[in-house]
Amino acid sequence: MSELKRTCLYQTHLDAGATMVDFGGWDMPVQYPSGIVSEHLYTRHNCSLFDVSHMGRLIVEGPERVKFLQHVLTSNVMALKLNQAQYCIIPNENGGAIDDAYLYLFEEDNFFLVVNAANTDKDLAYLQEKIKSFNCTIRNVSDEWASIAVQGPKSKEMLTTLAGGVQVTEPMRNALNSIKLEGHFARIAKTGYTGEPLGYEVFIHTEDAKWLWNRLIELGAKPAGLGARDTLRLEAGLPLYGHEFGVDASGKEIPIFAVPVGKVAVSFTPQKGDYIGRAALEKQSAALKRIREEDFSDLTDLPRRLVPIALKDRGVMRAGMPIYKGDKHIGWLTSGTMVPYYLCEGQGITSRYSDETAKRAIGLAYVDSDIKTDDIVEVDIRGKRLHAVIVKEHMRVDSPPFARPIIYKLEEDEVANIDNNRKKMALDLIKLAQENHQWRQKKCINLIPSENTASKAVQLLCSSDPSFRYAEHKKSLSFNNEDIFYYQGTKFIDQVEQMLVEQMRQYLGCTEVETRVISGQMANTAVFSALMDWKNRYNRRVDAQRLGYIMHNHILKGGHLSAQPMGALHDYAAIDPVTEKRAVVAFPVCVDNPYKIDVEETKKLIDEYKPEFIIFGKSMVLHKEPVAAIRKFVDEQKLQTTIMYDMAHVLGLVGDYFQKPFAEGADIVTGSTHKTFFGPQRGVIGVNYKKDELKYGLWETIERRAFPGSVSNHHLGTQLGMLMAAYEMNTFKDAYQKAVIENAKYFAKCLKEAGLDVAGDPAISYTETHQVIVHVGYAQGPEVAERLEANNIIVNYQATPEEEGFTASGALRMGVSEMTRFGFGKDAFAKLAGLIADCVLNNRKVADEVEKLRSQYTEMQYCFSDAEMKEALDGFAKVIGL
Amino acid sequence: MNYPNELKYTKSHEWIKEENGIAIVGISDYAQDALGDVVFVNLPAVDDEVTAGQAFGDVESVKAVSDLISPVSGVVSEINEELLDAPEKLNKDPYGAWIIKVKDVSGKEELLDAAAYKEFCAQEAK
Repeated sequence: MSELKRTCLYQTHLDAGATMVDFGGWDMPVQYPSGIVSEHLYTRHNCSLFDVSHMGRLIVEGPERVKFLQHVLTSNVMALKLNQAQYCIIPNENGGAIDDAYLYLFEEDNFFLVVNAANTDKDLAYLQEKIKSFNCTIRNVSDEWASIAVQGPKSKEMLTTLAGGVQVTEPMRNALNSIKLEGHFARIAKTGYTGEPLGYEVFIHTEDAKWLWNRLIELGAKPAGLGARDTLRLEAGLPLYGHEFGVDASGKEIPIFAVPVGKVAVSFTPQKGDYIGRAALEKQSAALKRIREEDFSDLTDLPRRLVPIALKDRGVMRAGMPIYKGDKHIGWLTSGTMVPYYLCEGQGITSRYSDETAKRAIGLAYVDSDIKTDDIVEVDIRGKRLHAVIVKEHMRVDSPPFARPIIYKLEEDEVANIDNNRKKMALDLIKLAQENHQWRQKKCINLIPSENTASKAVQLLCSSDPSFRYAEHKKSLSFNNEDIFYYQGTKFIDQVEQMLVEQMRQYLGCTEVETRVISGQMANTAVFSALMDWKNRYNRRVDAQRLGYIMHNHILKGGHLSAQPMGALHDYAAIDPVTEKRAVVAFPVCVDNPYKIDVEETKKLIDEYKPEFIIFGKSMVLHKEPVAAIRKFVDEQKLQTTIMYDMAHVLGLVGDYFQKPFAEGADIVTGSTHKTFFGPQRGVIGVNYKKDELKYGLWETIERRAFPGSVSNHHLGTQLGMLMAAYEMNTFKDAYQKAVIENAKYFAKCLKEAGLDVAGDPAISYTETHQVIVHVGYAQGPEVAERLEANNIIVNYQATPEEEGFTASGALRMGVSEMTRFGFGKDAFAKLAGLIADCVLNNRKVADEVEKLRSQYTEMQYCFSDAEMKEALDGFAKVIGL
Repeated sequence: MNYPNELKYTKSHEWIKEENGIAIVGISDYAQDALGDVVFVNLPAVDDEVTAGQAFGDVESVKAVSDLISPVSGVVSEINEELLDAPEKLNKDPYGAWIIKVKDVSGKEELLDAAAYKEFCAQEAK
């Protein structure tokens, strides 16, 4: 045997008592004294270190590096932006894998490619041959860098400590960064091979590797060997070259599309030209599509596929074992073993790993393509046929900070045991609704920023007759462009709508208002649909082009679902043909304040993308949006960009104390009427186009996309209530808006003084809106919000801009508008801040004190409440029988 | 590594203790250490015949499966059912966690005493 290669951490592994094995010509630790099971579990609940320095690190540079990589890899290299990585495959002409790899763009002028250790020489020789026809070079820099995978829920905290508090990478998977760790230069990738939602791979100069390893051990990480790396990746369903890629047990090559993550790594963009393997991969892709449509008539191009498999009987499945369905041999295990997992306690988002563990025999199977999820098969385990089931997945990795094992269970028939005593159910419903009403209205302090309580007048109007009526109307040119109503009995509601439009025009300071949309989200989809229709108005005989580029607030930076491709933009945002991603670009945020848009960086992006549509507004909002500055820049650049401000959260703050969107240059404002505004739950759209402008046509399109595009009947009861809310707002807005902003700033100050970690800029008293954000510890948000609810304080748990998503929420989002309306001033908010701090920091029970505080503030403010109004409302209530 | 003197050992790393005509069989400390985390044990059934030098079951660690070789020929009189749910007992207490008991013992493998077995393991580890 030739001399085994050693990584720069070889001695460190020996010192730690590792058992070493030959792995692809490298002398590597397979496990440490604690053993594979313990290393696996430690990764899942804490953090493990893996020496992956044996992997091949290559640099591709030179003018034709993109062209070269587009030719020899399956992925779309153009989709990579600076500080992003992508999974890719080095394909052969048959559509099989020479290797699977990861491509990193740490620097604009070169690509960093990491390949499997055992394949490095083979890959490099192959790529060096192929690169001859391109004006670029590839070189092996494996010796200059060490790689340490830092994987597990605590990994982020540990690396952040070494980074001195600097953000390690953006929270998204595949994000990259180059930073110093206690003075040592490191390239960090938010990637990994364990399935951990939180995991990093750190590239560090060889001479610093030992330092980093030991520092992370000091911080509580433990070393893990190749054994645990294999069980972890198996549980995550990730392929291993030589098992799931390469050749199968019969010696036949495994097609790339047979591997679930394989297809994700393949692009067919025209940008890639006729790259190696393309023709074969296109056939595989077509075959996969047929298979997924359950058409198994022609499996030539994809006879078998890799699927997760779980053993039902007692035993352990191993790579190479044959699998049968009945008498038919349908494939083989490609990987298999027994893996440990934590049992969970609790339910839903606050459920956590318990201390209890169990084990399960799982694997990956390469089986006939007509085998489906939930099929029961038999695995030949050394002559014994044991039952196994094809499962969808072994683990979910989308709820950071913890991976969630998915354990196969037979679905049991639900026993039909429905109590059909509907009279009793009806009475129970009344009782429960009454209790809920009393609790929310009398005992709770509600700090959800997207909620408010409407005045008695608004509530009564919403409950009166129009809530059972129908109206539809549309302007008709045949009748002098007057609204034509399609239902009788609607003269009153017609007047109401005209008065509401007039009140909202005055409030927003614009020329036209649409009030028929029944939610803020619908307001947005009506506008998006109208913009798309307007864009395509000259040719409706072809498929309409979608919108792009669109600039918006990213959901992780506080953007709302109503302006995300996964939300309301879903059907309207185009795909960029170059990157094959959504033609959506997010506002960059300030380095020192992720809650605030960075105007100068935004201008650079506007210059680069020339967005046709900019959407301001978000749901986690502490700052004014820079509408005026961006309007000015867009005009200077002579761009035809439409600027919309989605004021869902801040609609009730339009004015001198916050922002005047149209005066600042917005074309369109949308909003929901029940957050800071006083209304029932509806939406509104305003525009500032005048009748003689070309873009008035866009306004008319918006009207058509509201009706008949979005609603037929537009919920007349709440429209009636909304008119009263608009009267109230236009009358009381000065006092109300001033109080809301002052209360929010004061509340933030009190929370800070009470010892809580308040987000935002202290120089502006943390907030310019009704919202206050408080950090309560990474991923602690759901539990703390639940605790506050048990103490009669209702808040949202919230992911901050540094966090991965709602399951990792480390903050609370609170709004002061509803309590301000109930008369809360500085004294009340100071008391409330103290109670919240006591509950959050000291876990003290404060429910009774909260109820007592709430009971002193039950009279609605900022509405008509003199004797005359009271008398009118009493009379109205009597007439409508409420 | 522990090699209790009262036991005899095989070169395939099982231990054996004979009491009143019954042979009690397990795996040695050296064996469990080499296997790593034991995650599953395949046991024979009571009344199965076992043959000296041949496999009577297997023991699976995370990484691999190893046959259990019977040191004696005879009939299985008892199996340690505890190991089905808690195979890790073989790691934690290899000499307490017996695997099978054999009656009607008729033939035997070559057995080593503790000192010889220790020497054998030392050679194998090299």
